[in-house]
Amino acid sequence: MSILVNKNTKVLVQGITGTQASFHVRKSLDYGTDIVAGVTPGKGGTEHLGIPVFGTVKEAIANTGANASVMFVPARFVKNAVKEAVEAELDLAVCIADGVPIHDMMEIRAMLKGSKTKLIGPNTPGIITPGEARLGIFPENIHKKGRVGVVSRSSTLTYEAVLEVNRAEMGQSTVIGLGDDMVIGMDFVEVLDEFSQDDETDAIVLIGQLGGAFEEVAAKHYKLMPNKKPVIAFVAGNTIPFGHKMGYAGDIIAAGKVTAQDKRAAMQDAGMIVVDRISQIRAQLQNLLR
Amino acid sequence: MNIHEYQAKKILNRYGIFIPRGKVAYTPNEAKRAAVHVSLRGPWMLKAQIQSGARERGAFIGSSGRKGGIRLIKRRRDIIREAEQMLGETLVTAQTGPKGKFVSRIYVEAFQKVRKKFYAGLVINRVVPVLTLLLANLEDGGQSILDKALENPKEILKLKVDLNKGVSLRQIELARRFLQLEEPSRKHLQKFFNALHRAFVENDATMIEVNPAGVTKRGRIVALDAKMSFDNNAMYRHPEILRLQDDYEEEDRALKAAKFGFQYLEFEGGNIGCIVNGDGIALAAMDFIREKGLDACCFLNVKGGVDRDKIAAGIKIIMTNPKVEGILINILGGFLRCNLIAEGIIAAASEVGLNVPLVVRFEGTNKDTAKETLINSRLPLIIADTMEESVDKLIAAMEESE
Repeated sequence: MSILVNKNTKVLVQGITGTQASFHVRKSLDYGTDIVAGVTPGKGGTEHLGIPVFGTVKEAIANTGANASVMFVPARFVKNAVKEAVEAELDLAVCIADGVPIHDMMEIRAMLKGSKTKLIGPNTPGIITPGEARLGIFPENIHKKGRVGVVSRSSTLTYEAVLEVNRAEMGQSTVIGLGDDMVIGMDFVEVLDEFSQDDETDAIVLIGQLGGAFEEVAAKHYKLMPNKKPVIAFVAGNTIPFGHKMGYAGDIIAAGKVTAQDKRAAMQDAGMIVVDRISQIRAQLQNLLR
Repeated sequence: MNIHEYQAKKILNRYGIFIPRGKVAYTPNEAKRAAVHVSLRGPWMLKAQIQSGARERGAFIGSSGRKGGIRLIKRRRDIIREAEQMLGETLVTAQTGPKGKFVSRIYVEAFQKVRKKFYAGLVINRVVPVLTLLLANLEDGGQSILDKALENPKEILKLKVDLNKGVSLRQIELARRFLQLEEPSRKHLQKFFNALHRAFVENDATMIEVNPAGVTKRGRIVALDAKMSFDNNAMYRHPEILRLQDDYEEEDRALKAAKFGFQYLEFEGGNIGCIVNGDGIALAAMDFIREKGLDACCFLNVKGGVDRDKIAAGIKIIMTNPKVEGILINILGGFLRCNLIAEGIIAAASEVGLNVPLVVRFEGTNKDTAKETLINSRLPLIIADTMEESVDKLIAAMEESE
């Protein structure tokens, strides 16, 4: 089955006519992704890379039956792009842009609440179900079809984790980058739920990193999950306290719990298999699934 | 992006928050004139304008006195001497690191008598994420707000604030009781919170801190100190705030890197320069280096850079850092194409020379073309296939070149 996207996903691309969008849309098409429409305001009725372009998301859906979107729009237009996707009731929106203002993301989170649309990102490489669909900017040559789910906050470490799964001579059911930002759409909790219901995923590789509390929240949730699948977790950032300091408000919220060690302890306590380095994922996977 | 206390106060004042009369000064003579301007008889506060907390308990490098960056001055004739001790000097606080920060200006303020002090912070909670108002009572000579957070978190009131509507009437009443203020103070508190909220929302702030806020005899609330941080990503819609950025606060190299849209960080100690294309891989690479007994001294995150010239300029920042004895480049291309990095490395090396060992590891988009480009360049660099291998090869090469 895989999660969220597969070969039946009909994809539209918001901001399809940009150079970066064109580069990656071409790659996604070659990959076999069913890209059915592009959306660029003011360019409705034209064609780009052989794909019909519409002026609005609603028009694109009405004409093509698209149910998911990849957004290549610049950061400052993301809020409106997500609004359009939510109002058109798309199942999934993937936002690649880096540098979306935090206040915009807070408003976007409010829009998503109670809506039909799930958002991946921003600042994400996207989501890929190997051999079926590539929504985003993943290097397409590294993924292999298999039964390990991969989810990560960092884009770059997503690739690192995928390579580890390959080295274990296994493949991926679906790979998701949640996005590197402070405020994002889907988080570990939602993705863990998706993977736990997917009968083609046997184990999950989860890559966290310093900053925020996504890992702690995931650990809390995992601990209480009734039908747990094994999770192998890695947290980057043992050596460096990140960012420089200004005021105390951030520390008060975190109440001192800001190190990678705290995150790892929480995950271990919840029953995840926590590894010290990415290269240990391979052996753990082989232990689990052989 | 952060701004100075006097700039934050000016913004908050525009939203209706009371502040003591104050004026910024760049020279001791200016400080004296400013003092007379804000209060004829004093006393005055002299406050070093660096973007850091704990200034009062900080110390100036090279000064024998134990006086910090915030001083109460009672006699007008002392102002010039005290200002001289601060201006042009470097202040070290618990938040600046041992290098400290250069004091280019001081803020001269009329001393404001208050009968009570409290802490107020408005910040986006990363966990949930929601806008959160933080409040705590402060006693003179009592626990600092940070110690309270760590040891007595119950003494801090945390209220979730609606991003659009601000602090509710019920929350204001809760806050009033928590801060042990009399009934008539409610309207002052309401005005204060509303102003904080509007200043936060209308300026794309990520944090506003009034530490402390003072309550006057008549119940008015005065911001005795103020800090504001803003979302860099939203500064395109606030050019007036962007103009407040103080270049003294940024490291030269960081400033240069930021110009190209990259992130650059320097660390104490270490001798390896890292070039990466994401926070996650930066953290993982530095963890690896530490495991092998070495440390990174700086890293450059080129993010999703797609402009070859900018990438070359970024790489030059690392190549010309005298502390760097080895360079580790780990790129996992997705959006970013490896071949652009390869071309950037060659362009940078041809301009400033490649005098230290450099190991490159490419994975992802266009990695094969990238490797080929590097091999054809005949530069003395080393290519690795995994992150671990890249660290091992770099360390071996550094040992060899010693």
